[in-house]
Amino acid sequence: MTTQPLRENARILFGTLIFFAIWEFLGATTSWGIAMVPAPSRILMQAFADRELYWLHGTATIQTSAIGFAIGVTVAVIAALLFCLSPGLELAFRGINIALFAMPAIVIGPLLVLFLKGDWPQTVLAALMVYFPAMSATLLGLRTVDPRIADLVAAYGGGEARLMRYVRLRGALPDLFAGFRVAAPLAVLGAVLGEFGSGTRWGFGAFLLSALPQGNPARLWGIGLASSAIALAGYALFLLPARRLSASSTAVTLAAVQKAARPSGGWAWQRIALAGVAVALPFVIWWLAVTLTHVSPIIAPGPGRTVMFLIEGRQAAAARAALLTALGQTLPVALLGLLAGLAFAFALAALSLLAPAVARAMLPIALVAQNMPLVAVVPFVVLIFGRDVTASVFMAMLVVFFPAYVLLHQGFTTVPRAASDLVSAYGGGRWKQLVHVAVPYSIGHLFAAARLVAPQALLGVMVAEWLLSGVGLGNLLNVSRGGLDYDMIWAGALVSILISVGAYEAVGLIERKVRR
Amino acid sequence: MNAPPARDHMTPPDAPEPVDVIIDQAGKTFQTARGPVRALDPISLKVPRGAFVALIGPSGCGKSTLLRMIAGLEQPDEGGAVLVRSKHPEQFRKEGELGIAFQDPALLPWRSVADNIAFPLQILGRPVKRHAATIQALIDLVGLKGYEAALPGQLSGGMRQRVAIARSLVTDPSVLLLDEPFGALDQILRRAMNVELQRIWATRQTTTLLVTHGIDEAVFLADTVVVMHAKPGRIAEIISVPFARPRLPSLFSNPDFHALCDRLTESLHGEDASP
Repeated sequence: MTTQPLRENARILFGTLIFFAIWEFLGATTSWGIAMVPAPSRILMQAFADRELYWLHGTATIQTSAIGFAIGVTVAVIAALLFCLSPGLELAFRGINIALFAMPAIVIGPLLVLFLKGDWPQTVLAALMVYFPAMSATLLGLRTVDPRIADLVAAYGGGEARLMRYVRLRGALPDLFAGFRVAAPLAVLGAVLGEFGSGTRWGFGAFLLSALPQGNPARLWGIGLASSAIALAGYALFLLPARRLSASSTAVTLAAVQKAARPSGGWAWQRIALAGVAVALPFVIWWLAVTLTHVSPIIAPGPGRTVMFLIEGRQAAAARAALLTALGQTLPVALLGLLAGLAFAFALAALSLLAPAVARAMLPIALVAQNMPLVAVVPFVVLIFGRDVTASVFMAMLVVFFPAYVLLHQGFTTVPRAASDLVSAYGGGRWKQLVHVAVPYSIGHLFAAARLVAPQALLGVMVAEWLLSGVGLGNLLNVSRGGLDYDMIWAGALVSILISVGAYEAVGLIERKVRR
Repeated sequence: MNAPPARDHMTPPDAPEPVDVIIDQAGKTFQTARGPVRALDPISLKVPRGAFVALIGPSGCGKSTLLRMIAGLEQPDEGGAVLVRSKHPEQFRKEGELGIAFQDPALLPWRSVADNIAFPLQILGRPVKRHAATIQALIDLVGLKGYEAALPGQLSGGMRQRVAIARSLVTDPSVLLLDEPFGALDQILRRAMNVELQRIWATRQTTTLLVTHGIDEAVFLADTVVVMHAKPGRIAEIISVPFARPRLPSLFSNPDFHALCDRLTESLHGEDASP
């Protein structure tokens, strides 16, 4: 028994060594290798030469993401406790939760700069990105109680307080740490995206911005790999406690399958009122933030003024035209990337069922890659695909592919053993199992994946546009930020968040229609 | 179809017999998406103090619902009432006088055997330390000595179920409710657990209601077997079990035992014969 994992480890080590050897050879000898895939030795030497820059930028990003992470998870755990105690409160905050989940984070950075000084814009963005996955995982853990144990507590006269104290809090710990694990790399992503918008001098975001025009492939790769390493270190930090707490070591991704809480014994009007509050609350908070901070309405217009900016006034028509043009460039690319990424993930997940060896090779890579910060792939994308629209599509696909693959693979593996045994018993092969059993069983996971990655696709395209291609919504926001066109920054942010939330809700709507 | 009240064969006829559980015209209707479903017709039943009553019947006859009503986990429909020692079930259970075990052991996976057994004490807000001896005695009673610190994941199915039984006894309850506690066990283990439960019950004489699928289990353990029929759930017949206690495992091969089991089987299938 003990030799089995040993042999497995040896095989992995051997495979990795071969991989690096090929990389080194191609990167050092071929012309495209030198231009696009520099040899590991060259990347390391460049990194050594840049060690002082790495230290300065690295400490800034690590500090920002760590503080942001701490703030984000604290708020998330408190929110999850409150939502667990009061499902009505969760319904009221649904708008905020979904907006925070679906927002393309890159649009928030330039807004936070208007209110906050120093490192705080990046820090707060990191916290905002951490909040949703940590909150939803914790809430799921708190809500999931064995009904028999709930009966047991009730049979001894215990109420909700005792159930919370003895069962829910401890039972939620594995989910809590799983949520932290997913959230930690997102804190790094939030910090870096925030650095793009805040124009700070130190941090990997700033490092990347300054390195992009220099055209030094080894340095670009180094930045990508280093920021991935920081994010993955955050992931690994919570791997051990999560493993120890939950006997299962299954892959945990963002809990995109959010169970909407049902208010028990609530009347229809009560639910409608809560839904109204859920829609209104984000705008109320926006209005409050603008009003209470006393920032000039020119820099920080409220919701009313931002909507008016697009409807009324001399510039309204021009603003609408600019926004529509940008959307026309961005949305098709995002949709294409989303569909291609999902299709590719589905095909590969299905293939790993037909050929399990593929899954064994693919899954570890996907598990790691889904936690790589999106900005870390920018260097690879720019070196291989250049700066035009292919880069944007590829970026969206890459963002979509890994989490979707992991979720779909999970879906395919949750198929009950008896169901696939039944197909085998009647002489059906793997193909029949896939068509008749695995795909129908995992349709829920397909929708969960779509809901999870739809907003990500938009974010991926916008990041590519911001940094590389110079067209579309991402670019419009970057240009407006540079040109101090505050009304446009707010309008662009509002529109892109609304589109993201719309995409999320649309997938949910389709799911409800398809799965009865 | 009116169920006669529980017989008085257990106590001498002259003493006024204390009654622990009174079920009076309690029915249960569940509201579902397709309209109301009657799980239980209004039924009446009295359980004397110290009795061991088995509820037996096919799936959907409402035997578990009846038990859950006694535990206060379900409320009877309008017009029905359940009293446990002349108290409302919710009030009764708050006093820690109720013990309960389910088909699923429902152990907290992160707690050791001893801590799981102590769980009801904590829910009731009683000091666990003062009951350390009780807990240890219960662990010995169910034959888990040496497993005090083991986690549920390290135990076999039968051992987990014994933890659940010990847990149901930790508050020294005056009424014990067992909802198919051995339902998930294999036949051999089940027999062994039956013998063990009888031994435990004999030392305490706790008023016990046992819901079961097993005819031989009901006959071996109970003084009174309440046979229930489904659609809608109702009491079909109440049969007394005359065998003297303590009952030994050899009873399982006694011809009288089998005759009574056959009689029970007939009663369970009686609904086809009746018009």
